[in-house]
Amino acid sequence: MDVELSDQQRELAQGAREFLSEQCPASRVRTAWDEGHDARLWSQLAEVGFLGAVVPEEYGGLGLGDLDLAVLLEEAGRVALPVPLLETAVAALTLLDAGSPEQCKRWLPAIAAGEVVATIGLPGQSLVVAAPDADLLILGRDGGLHAVAAERCELTAQPAFDASRRLATVRADTGADSALSDDPTKLARFADRAAVAAAATLVGIADHLVRESVAYVAQRHQFGRPIGSFQAIKYRLADAHLGVEFARTLTWVAAHQVGVSDAGDPEASAAASAAKVAASAAQAAANEHALQCHGGIGFTWEHDLQMWLKRGKALELAYGTPAAHRARIADGLFAAGGQR
Amino acid sequence: MDLTYTATEQQFRAEVRGWLAANAPTEALPPIYTEEGVAEHRRWERTMFDAGYSALHWPREHGGGGAGLIEQAIFGEEYLRVGAPTRLNRMALGLAGPTVIQFGTDEQRRQWLPGMLSCDDLWCQGFSEPEAGSDLAGLRARGERDGDDFVINGQKIWTSMSAFANWMFAMIRTDPDSTRHRGITFIMVPMGTPGIELRPIRQLHGEPGFAEVFLTDVRVSAANVIGKVGEGWSVAMATLGFERGTGLGDHVRFARDVADLVELARRAGVADDPVVRDEIAARWVEVQQFRRHMQRTATRLAASGTIGPEASMTKLFWSEMEARIFETALKILGPLAELADDAPGSLPDRGFHRRYWHSRASRIFAGTSEVQRNIISERVLGLPREPRWTSN
Repeated sequence: MDVELSDQQRELAQGAREFLSEQCPASRVRTAWDEGHDARLWSQLAEVGFLGAVVPEEYGGLGLGDLDLAVLLEEAGRVALPVPLLETAVAALTLLDAGSPEQCKRWLPAIAAGEVVATIGLPGQSLVVAAPDADLLILGRDGGLHAVAAERCELTAQPAFDASRRLATVRADTGADSALSDDPTKLARFADRAAVAAAATLVGIADHLVRESVAYVAQRHQFGRPIGSFQAIKYRLADAHLGVEFARTLTWVAAHQVGVSDAGDPEASAAASAAKVAASAAQAAANEHALQCHGGIGFTWEHDLQMWLKRGKALELAYGTPAAHRARIADGLFAAGGQR
Repeated sequence: MDLTYTATEQQFRAEVRGWLAANAPTEALPPIYTEEGVAEHRRWERTMFDAGYSALHWPREHGGGGAGLIEQAIFGEEYLRVGAPTRLNRMALGLAGPTVIQFGTDEQRRQWLPGMLSCDDLWCQGFSEPEAGSDLAGLRARGERDGDDFVINGQKIWTSMSAFANWMFAMIRTDPDSTRHRGITFIMVPMGTPGIELRPIRQLHGEPGFAEVFLTDVRVSAANVIGKVGEGWSVAMATLGFERGTGLGDHVRFARDVADLVELARRAGVADDPVVRDEIAARWVEVQQFRRHMQRTATRLAASGTIGPEASMTKLFWSEMEARIFETALKILGPLAELADDAPGSLPDRGFHRRYWHSRASRIFAGTSEVQRNIISERVLGLPREPRWTSN
């Protein structure tokens, strides 16, 4: 029993934090809002190996696992990374899980090299992130998994309040030639991976919101004292921090479980749903408290806070709303008589 | 990350499970606040002691089990899984004992540890006072040096088990000119000493359990001081720190509470109500968070031996979680929630209301949720301290 990151995972987190904070400051996130997909940032992510993090070495990647990815995505969330690392990584893992060797060979080396942007659409999910920039879409459609090249998709752009998400509704021309697998357990694992990846990103976003708020309330003075010395402020941030810490551990464990369990393991699916619920709740609390702690300045377009507030709210509800994940958990609990 | 147990740990679990199946009482013992209940619980503690399970977390050289944190967690899980009796002497085994082991002299260890282990001695805690609750450093009970003794005058409150305890570990202000954290001494007080008077306090849910303790010219030997005179604050903080190692298997209890919610929803005919299902799932998620957090805490404690002010996060999370679990139960019951346990139309298992109200107490004892939030915000997040209000 060891519920902690390994030394290598801690180093990965540290390295990613240094790289991303340097290469992706808030100004770059803001630029992506106006200028669209940041192809240069995408190449940089490929160069440091992040795009191929979960791609096996034989396909030119680092061969890391689900928990390593969660560690990486937390750091991506921390800087509000404006490119679809989450989606591309889940697409890669799903290709690996459900694709044929030919399909893997066709896409995975290109993903690791940064030549391909991949994105994902879960069953029933009409809005796809980064669809206009994607070369490959991994979609859950008609009860199966499909790998669809961009030229076989018809897109309708759907501008979002976080412009860097570049959403579109997708009509995909799926068929036997695009099919990866019709194994329902693999389809479930696809959704589980998306949920855990979103959870990890949400933890990073929420942690950033808490840290920014802590720094702000320590220096902002009103009534002759730092507002961070008021309990009304302290309690918001204590609760937000508590939520982040407890969500992070659950997310790590869920990532680990999804990675090591057999497809169709209900315990891993429940853990994935639980992680998404917990991280969404932690983010929602941090989101609310961060804006309250910043007050008026936080409500300005100029202040960078808005980019994390909007990304957080978007991801909170994407890849399965918290209510949908709770409904799935409840189904399992009631079927098992409460024991799990 | 490794969620599996070693072969040794699995074997330990099997042993514990087997032993509990063979030895744990199958019927609930009488309540711990009655003479009969104390006698029955003492017998059970004796059985545990003979089997070597009494103080698993104490070092072997002091009569404990010398178990590691994972084994402690396994034991806790198995113990709660079979619903074995409430531990009788938690104040001794969890708090006073480790304090004596760390700060006591060899003579003091010989004097007190065996009685704690055997439960021949029951212990209570003398920290809180009517005017020193959350603000413990405001305590006033005074001890005056008189030859080889201290003469103690003052009042303690919320003292659990004081009616049956024969020892109290107490914080006493022995320097009359001192304020706040200085000038406090940690001292062991025999409860049979002349001048000690108890007034039981009935709790909100109707049960007795704690009391006010009045101390009038109570003469206690200076040999009973733990650590140095006047330096009791740091001893007491270490004592409270020992609580951090506890609760490693507690997720089992909360998981059962959530399972009970599922059963309760069925009995109440609301098992298909999406709002009820949503709430129960939310509670389950929180229990999973707590479970993994405690496993992570055990990992960290095993590696570094200490977790610091983060312990406040554990307390805040579980007490709020527990209260929410029972609030969900009330929502499931709706208007039936107010029925007493023995009402013909009552749906939950007996003892439900005691546990509901107890969950409300959890937010208060061992540091209120507000005190925990202060600690988290100031000592974990590093926010500025509240300016201190001073009267003229």
